[in-house]
Amino acid sequence: MIKLKDLSFSYGKLKVFENFNLQVPEGQVCLITGINGVGKSTLLRLIAGVLKPAGGEIIFSEKMGDDPRKKLGFISEILSLYESLKVAQAIELHMSVYNLSHFDDSLIRHTKIEYSQKIKELSTGQKTIFHLNLILSIEPELFLIDEIIHSIDAYLRRIFLDQLIQLLSKRKLTVIMVNLNFHDIEHIVERVILLKAGKVAVDEEINALKTKVKKVISAAPPQSPSILSQIDYSDHSEFFVYPYSEKHKEKIDGEIIDLNLTEIVTAFIGGEYA
Amino acid sequence: MKGKKEKFFNIKVDVKSALPVYEQIKRAIKLAIISGYLEENDRLMSLREMALKLKINPNTIIKVYYQLEVEGFIYSRPGAGYFVKLDRRKIQKEKRELFKDITGEYISRIIKLGYSLEDMIRELSRNAK
Repeated sequence: MIKLKDLSFSYGKLKVFENFNLQVPEGQVCLITGINGVGKSTLLRLIAGVLKPAGGEIIFSEKMGDDPRKKLGFISEILSLYESLKVAQAIELHMSVYNLSHFDDSLIRHTKIEYSQKIKELSTGQKTIFHLNLILSIEPELFLIDEIIHSIDAYLRRIFLDQLIQLLSKRKLTVIMVNLNFHDIEHIVERVILLKAGKVAVDEEINALKTKVKKVISAAPPQSPSILSQIDYSDHSEFFVYPYSEKHKEKIDGEIIDLNLTEIVTAFIGGEYA
Repeated sequence: MKGKKEKFFNIKVDVKSALPVYEQIKRAIKLAIISGYLEENDRLMSLREMALKLKINPNTIIKVYYQLEVEGFIYSRPGAGYFVKLDRRKIQKEKRELFKDITGEYISRIIKLGYSLEDMIRELSRNAK
């Protein structure tokens, strides 16, 4: 669906990406994570066309047509959409930009947004849902979601995720989402990409990742596999290891514990702060 | 063929388990079938509804239903959905395997506590009364 080829981008002197490569196949739900400032949001904005790369190219599949932006939905906290307009005007403008003959506003009506309200007067949650409604109306092939899920209340979050699941049920939608929190989305995500220093440090299918990252509880550090990070207690430590496989089991003297996605990503990132 | 109304049951997904989500759901549905809760020609929840209910990627449900169909536990009617298929021999075989697995688990746990096989038999007989 999308191919990032030798992409380069800098903010002034700060090099964010240099010869960055990534391919996301059609219909995949991909999570991009990493420490703050590593370039996750920048990557989405490059894909969305909000930022222009200094080098390299972004190649979309034929499904995206001649103007990929018309088939792309991008939702982000930073992007302020039609702020000074009223809801009704924003919808009108949106419909003309995307050549829509009708607009299904059931999502907006569900969240008590008034057509006479100004966009800037809406709460963060309402703005997000409004934005989502606009995106749904264009029936995107590619959906980019930038870290907004956790800045909205739990109920609207549920609505957002249910809409996402409905969309995924209807058609082959490619989703690239940036998130720092995973408990809601853990079972929606198929592939986990961890960025580190402008490169892909980890790129695994989620089920595979769960079998490869384990917590070992023992007094002494296990010899193998490699230790990502550890937490020390008075009489023992917890060692987060990767890549674990069954063959390591016999040689490890300690308890081996399964982890959820939050613990796994924390283990990788914890190593960076050590 | 009009299926009976869907029977709903709760599937709890263990987030931490290294057992993939699709495997957990598959086992839960299989269990419902072999225990007799789901009967022949009962209709399963649609892909979309199952995904929404469990809050998971619809592709996962597609995988579950596909595998269950291949393994012969369910069949699909295009446009109508997925239905339970009752293969008595297969069900007996699954029941037997589950019985052995649970028994094996039970025995190893009780042995870890320090009890013997005789202790177990005695306790089981007591419980049977």
